[in-house]
Amino acid sequence: MNETIAKGHLSEEQIDKDLLKNVNWGGKFKLWMGFLTVSLIICLYYYYQQLQNGLGVTGLHDYVSWGIYISNFVFFVATSLIGMLVSSVLGMMKVEWVRPVARIAELVALAFAMVAGLIIITDMGRPDRLLNVFIHGRVQSPIVWDIAVVVTYVVISGLLLYIPMLPDIALCRDKLNNVPKWQQKMYRSLSLGWNNTAKQFRLMNRYTRMLLILIIPIALSIHTVTSWLFAMTLRSGWDSPIFGPYFVSGAFVAGCAAVIIAMFFFRNNYKLKEYITADHFDRMGKLLVLVALVYVYFNINEIIVPGYKANTADAKHVHEMLYGHDSVMFWLVQLGGLVIPFLLILFKPMRKPLPLTIIAVVILAGAWFKRVLIVVPTQLAPYYPIQNVPEGWTGYSPTTPEVAITVASFILVVMIITVLAKLFPVVPIWEVKEDMNHKNNK
Amino acid sequence: MNMANKNDKSRRRFLQKLGIAGASTVAGSALLLQGCSDSNKASGNKVKVLTADNKLVEVDVAHLKPGDKIQDLKYLQKRGREGIPGKKFVMVVDLAKCKNARKCMKACQSAHQLKPEMHHLNVLEMEDPVKKTSYWMPKTCQHCDNPPCVSVCPVDATFKRQDGIVLIDNERCIGCRFCVAACPYSARTFNWTEPKNSDKMADVTYDMELNVPQKKGTVTKCAFSADQLRHGKLPYCVSACPNGVYYFGDQNEDLVTNGTTKKTVRLSHLLEENAAYTLMPELGTQPSVYYLPPRESEG
Amino acid sequence: MKNNKGYHIIILFCLCFLAVANVNAQSDWQAPAEENEKLSPFLFDDDMVLEGRIAYENSCTSCHGTPGQDDFTPMSPPPGDPAAEQFQAQSDGSMFYKIKMGRGTMPKFEDAFADDELWNIVAYIRSFNEDYKQELPNMEGVVIPEYAMSLSFDENVDKLVVKVFAEELPQPEVSVSAYVMGTFGKHLLGKAQTNELGIAYVDVDPTLPGDEEGKVNVMVKATKEFARAKVEKHMVMAKPTERHSAIEGRHIWSTDRMAPIWLKITFFVSVFGVWFALLFIVFGLRNIKKAREEA
Repeated sequence: MNETIAKGHLSEEQIDKDLLKNVNWGGKFKLWMGFLTVSLIICLYYYYQQLQNGLGVTGLHDYVSWGIYISNFVFFVATSLIGMLVSSVLGMMKVEWVRPVARIAELVALAFAMVAGLIIITDMGRPDRLLNVFIHGRVQSPIVWDIAVVVTYVVISGLLLYIPMLPDIALCRDKLNNVPKWQQKMYRSLSLGWNNTAKQFRLMNRYTRMLLILIIPIALSIHTVTSWLFAMTLRSGWDSPIFGPYFVSGAFVAGCAAVIIAMFFFRNNYKLKEYITADHFDRMGKLLVLVALVYVYFNINEIIVPGYKANTADAKHVHEMLYGHDSVMFWLVQLGGLVIPFLLILFKPMRKPLPLTIIAVVILAGAWFKRVLIVVPTQLAPYYPIQNVPEGWTGYSPTTPEVAITVASFILVVMIITVLAKLFPVVPIWEVKEDMNHKNNK
Repeated sequence: MNMANKNDKSRRRFLQKLGIAGASTVAGSALLLQGCSDSNKASGNKVKVLTADNKLVEVDVAHLKPGDKIQDLKYLQKRGREGIPGKKFVMVVDLAKCKNARKCMKACQSAHQLKPEMHHLNVLEMEDPVKKTSYWMPKTCQHCDNPPCVSVCPVDATFKRQDGIVLIDNERCIGCRFCVAACPYSARTFNWTEPKNSDKMADVTYDMELNVPQKKGTVTKCAFSADQLRHGKLPYCVSACPNGVYYFGDQNEDLVTNGTTKKTVRLSHLLEENAAYTLMPELGTQPSVYYLPPRESEG
Repeated sequence: MKNNKGYHIIILFCLCFLAVANVNAQSDWQAPAEENEKLSPFLFDDDMVLEGRIAYENSCTSCHGTPGQDDFTPMSPPPGDPAAEQFQAQSDGSMFYKIKMGRGTMPKFEDAFADDELWNIVAYIRSFNEDYKQELPNMEGVVIPEYAMSLSFDENVDKLVVKVFAEELPQPEVSVSAYVMGTFGKHLLGKAQTNELGIAYVDVDPTLPGDEEGKVNVMVKATKEFARAKVEKHMVMAKPTERHSAIEGRHIWSTDRMAPIWLKITFFVSVFGVWFALLFIVFGLRNIKKAREEA
């Protein structure tokens, strides 16, 4: 009845073989990494240009001083939140089916959280003064809170990836004899002398549970604080008390979509059809329906409440969104990127791996543009008219360097996930075995 | 006081010639605000300064001549953050008088080394929603008493001083532009590229009260010409206006001086008699800039 | 063609009109004859020119530009360059009158400057005219008394009491003007004439804020014909007002040092709490290593 763990026919040796198979440095991997590296270097050239000439190389100006860097940052933070939902909330509720995909969710979370920190640096006018934040940090500023929680979240995500992986690292240490010396050495030291003793399992479970509890408030605050970067200002469109939960619910949508895409990729490339089953996709699809529903609800609130009251500045902002300058993007994102995909995945055939992945890609793209819609239009509707400035300042369009630097952040995420997925098994071997034994014993 | 004495003497000579021993004492414009920063006691605060023959010497801050002091960054930074005790600077903008001469904008941009598209002060054409007419509104930083920009700054780079002025330290600003996003008055501008005359200004010591030299990648905005106020002079924009739009003064004294006519009036009377208002008071920012409503011109 | 000729005449006429219009700010504004002949009792020396220059730069440059540069603001009527011939053709008294009384867009400086300060500005304007020779009033036989003043404040009636003496004799019918010195200019309290006892009363608004003791800087000028005197005094006559720093207390917008206590506690307790738990786990990893041998 529970198809996600229908692996009764697999032997332990077979599981080890299947799941350790991806830990190698094949030609395909090298080609892929080579491609990523070259692309990254091209993008980094544009960052060098930005360092030389200042933020003037971007399409930003005094009226839209936060553009796609910041919206990309919000998107990354949002996507990274899924690690918390899948491994912590569902894990602690003893939802068994998430166990094989929990590590993928953690990988996605860690990679996106790490790169989110870097994106903030690309947005700084004076990256050379980054240390000022630590020397002169001001406890009242949401930026300082944001830095504190992002750093904490990266560390917790890292630990939450690492600690439950100890038995698998030990397995790599014991079984993988044909990998390079440094890699063997790495497994040896990282496995902490793991010996599958009962006490070790007890300690591991204890620390994991602590982290699972700890990560919930941190994950919620990382995105709530990110929403506060906007909500703590007096600008119409941002000045909203529901921004925290609104961002968090949106984050789950983006994160679910990202995990579905990663699942599809690993399942096909690493030949893991036995472990990441169609049923996993079905369930992730259902989870996506749930979180999307909540997000739609918040979206309706965000537009209807100010639209109904129509105070001067809010009315202008809502009007621009619904009918004006930003309406095309707004309706594409709301309908094409949220409502229609959400309606589609209500149907079971659409929750099969391939259709669901395609829908997830659309949702993820929609989620990215949704962040642009949160960040940019508010700035284009200031309280006082935009006058005596160059004509282009009444709008905003990102330049090539800006787009390239944003692409670089995605390349970095893919690189981090790729390397980690080549060093460690992406599906928790010991948990799969445990599930299987548990089921067989029943 | 030396200059005043000298003036006095020669004046007296003339008056005596005419048979007058009158006691006319036209005091020179004494540096009203000097007392706050200059004292003869050693402060124990040593700084390095360059002498005329290019030697670096260490001296006590208190023993520096004013001319030396303004070369010293540490002194300027300290002075800029402290502000002028006992003062609370306010501006009153009489919209009925503004004829869009833009002398204020020009004076401001040249004093602060701003590019043409950068505005510490911007004269906007505003629509009157009731009369369906338009009027001109000079908009500067409002120097709020509850400044949203200062609240969000992560590094104390922008801050409020005891005299009410909100300043920026562009030696510390990290260029995150959170303040730009937070300001409901769009009063802040950013050095997106290399500032104007940056090569010529390279050797000039940074004075945060003037915010010159401007630095690439940092935020800049109206400073109420804090460098001028220190010497009892009116802000650049205020004294440049040909139409008597601006009044500037000290709220504690309840006196503001018109930049064009130099007439000094009671602030409270001026505000009351003209039904003055502040910009978007509902936001609770408590601006230090008051506006007198636009009216049909009285000639 | 005939038509064409008429056209030329019209253009010529317009040009002439423009030329006239350009200078008419001075030419069609005549000071009253009596004012026109008024002469400065002071010799225009370098010190007067210097002070006049300061006053001019603060109050006049914005419209009239720098004298001799022809950079006055284009207005209607044009304010004109004070160094221009048209301008210098006026008498000293005419200039004095126009600055003092103003007209249209030319502000009235009567309240901003005392007579001697107005003469400073005239001196400065004349310094651009090499051909100018100052005409001095005939002072022969004129005896100018030397004034002494004493200031006091009568708090029962809120009046500034000014007594004017010359050689210990009270001086009647002396014009007295009293000012409060502000940071950027002087505020006219009022003008009055001394009575036969040499006393003038000037109303003081009791709501005027002073310092903590109620002191303000008062400046009083007394003039009568060529006699003039000026006295400045720091005296108690206003409402004692405590001056508060604009950054007192702890606010969200204060510097980090003055951050609200609740915020500091919340922030640091949360951050240190979480990191303490994380460090506990990181150090706990050693226990996992130790536990490799089953007991």
